[in-house]
Amino acid sequence: MTEFGLRLAISLTQIAAVMGIVVITVLLLTLAERKVLGWMQDRMGPMEVGPYGILQPFADAIKLFFKEDIIPAGANKFLFTMAPILCLVPAFIGFAVIPWGPNQTFEVGGVTVRPFIISDINIGILYILAFASLGAYGIILGGWASNSKYSLLGGLRSAAQIISYELNVGLSIVGVLILGGSLSLVSITDAQAGGFWHWYLFALPAPQIFAFVIYVISAVAETNRVPFDLPEAESELVAGFFTEYSGLRFAFFFLAEYANMVLVSCVAAALFLGGWNAPYPGTIMGFIGLPSLAWVENTMWFAVKTYSLLFLFFWLRATLPRLRYDQLMRFGWKVLLPIALGNIVVTAIAVFIYQQMK
Amino acid sequence: MASTASTKRLSLSAWLKTITFYEILVGMKATLSHLLNYRPVTLQYPHEKRTLPDNYRGMLALLRYDDGTEKCVGCDLCEAACPSRVIRVVSAEVPGEPTKRYSKEYYMDMTRCLFCGMCVDACPVDALGMTREFEWAVYDKRQLHLNKQQLLAIGDRSFPVQEKRLELQHPNVAFFNVAFKHVPPKPD
Repeated sequence: MTEFGLRLAISLTQIAAVMGIVVITVLLLTLAERKVLGWMQDRMGPMEVGPYGILQPFADAIKLFFKEDIIPAGANKFLFTMAPILCLVPAFIGFAVIPWGPNQTFEVGGVTVRPFIISDINIGILYILAFASLGAYGIILGGWASNSKYSLLGGLRSAAQIISYELNVGLSIVGVLILGGSLSLVSITDAQAGGFWHWYLFALPAPQIFAFVIYVISAVAETNRVPFDLPEAESELVAGFFTEYSGLRFAFFFLAEYANMVLVSCVAAALFLGGWNAPYPGTIMGFIGLPSLAWVENTMWFAVKTYSLLFLFFWLRATLPRLRYDQLMRFGWKVLLPIALGNIVVTAIAVFIYQQMK
Repeated sequence: MASTASTKRLSLSAWLKTITFYEILVGMKATLSHLLNYRPVTLQYPHEKRTLPDNYRGMLALLRYDDGTEKCVGCDLCEAACPSRVIRVVSAEVPGEPTKRYSKEYYMDMTRCLFCGMCVDACPVDALGMTREFEWAVYDKRQLHLNKQQLLAIGDRSFPVQEKRLELQHPNVAFFNVAFKHVPPKPD
C-alpha cells in the first residue's frame, strides 16, 4: 500500500510538473506569437503591460477569468459546457507519453522512478492519435451546441478538416514506425541516439523527409492554425466554432489550441528530430566529465526542437494566406495522401532490403 | 499549389518549384528578413507623439489682442463660410459704442467640424485660429459643443503670443505686430 501511495505521489508530481510546464509554455506562446507576428509585420506587438509587454499573457488570463460567462439563448447547455472541456482534456492528456529527457532512472524508497517519462505505454503514438481525434468532438459539439450558424459552419469545417488531415498525420508517422519497429515514443526516441544522421528525418535506409513535411503540414491543419484556419476564418465565420463562447470557456478553447500546437511539435520532435538526443553523438556534459548533468543538455535539445517547430507555426502564420475550402480538401486528399502512402511503400521496401543485406 | 498539374502539363522547373514549395519559401524568406531587420513603424502613441506639420489644422479657437480684449467683431462671416454649419454667432452692439459690434454668443459644434480652415480664412480681423490640439476625444459628445468662453480659453492656452490692437498695428508689416516678448534675447 505504501509503495502504491509512493508511486501515486511520484506520478502526480510528474503530471503536475508537466502540466505546469505546458501551461507556462502556452502562456509564453500567446505572447511569443503576438511578438513574432508583430516583428515580422514591422510592428511591435503588445508593449503596454510590463516592460516590452512581457506581462501581457497574465493580463489576458485575468481578463478572461473575470469576463461574463454567456450561454446564448437556445444553446444546448450541457453540450455547450462540455465542449471546451472535451477540447482541452485530449490536448493535455497526450503529453503523458512524451519522453522529455533521457531514459534514466533513480530509486526512491524502493520504487524506480523515470523522471522524464510519465508513462511509457507501448502504443504511445496510437494513444496520442486517438486522443487528438477526440478533440474534434469538442470542436464540433461546441459549434453545434452554440445555436449559431457561424459556430455550426466552423464546427463542420473543423470536423471535415481534422478527419482529413488526421489521416495524413497517421500515415506519415507509419514510415517512422517501420524504421523504429515500435509504437512507444520512448523506444522510438532511444533508437535515434548518436548524431543527427540517426534521426529518422535523415536516417539511412529511408530518410523520412517527405513524411516530415507531410506531418508538419497536416499538424498545422489539424491544430487549425493559419494557412488552414478555416474553422475559425474570421473574415467569413466571425470566429468559427467558438463565436458564442466567452470568458473561461473561450479560454479553454484557446488553451486547447495552443496545447495542441505544443503537443504536435513535441511529437514531431520525438518522432523525426530525435527527441531529446543531441545532434552530435553523446553529450557535451558527458564529454567534459559530468555525465550526471547530461539530462540538462538533453532536455534543452528537446526544448530547442519543440520551440523551433512552434516558431515555424508562427512563421507560417505571418507568411501565408488562408486556403480556400476546396483547395484544402484537394491538397489533403489528392496530394498529401498519395505521397504519404508512397512514402510507406518506399520505406517498407528500403527497410526490407536493408535487413536482407545485413 | 499542385492542383494545376491536373489541368495543364508543368515544365520541369515549375514542377520542381511546386514540390519544393519554392513560392512559399520566398514568402517565408521575406517575413524572416523583416524579423531580422526589425525596424518597426509603430509610434507608441500616448507615450511618444508625432511631430505635427507647421500648417497643422487642429482645434479651433477664438483669439484676443494683447490687452485682453476679444478680436471678434461679430460679423458672421465665419458662420457664412462654414460648409458644415459648425459655427453659430449671435452678434450685438458694444454697449455705449454704437459703431462697434461684438459676438454676444459664439457656439461651435465641433462634432461636425471637418477642420477645413475656411472660417479662419474668412475672418476679417483674424479672430479665429487653428491650434495644434488634436486630442479631443470625449465620452459625452455634448462636451464638444463649445461656447465662447471655452473657445477663448483654448485660444489663450494655444496662442500665448498675441497681436496688438488693430489701431496700434503697423500699417504695412504684419511681422512687427506682435510684441516679441516671447522670443529670448540674442546672446550677443
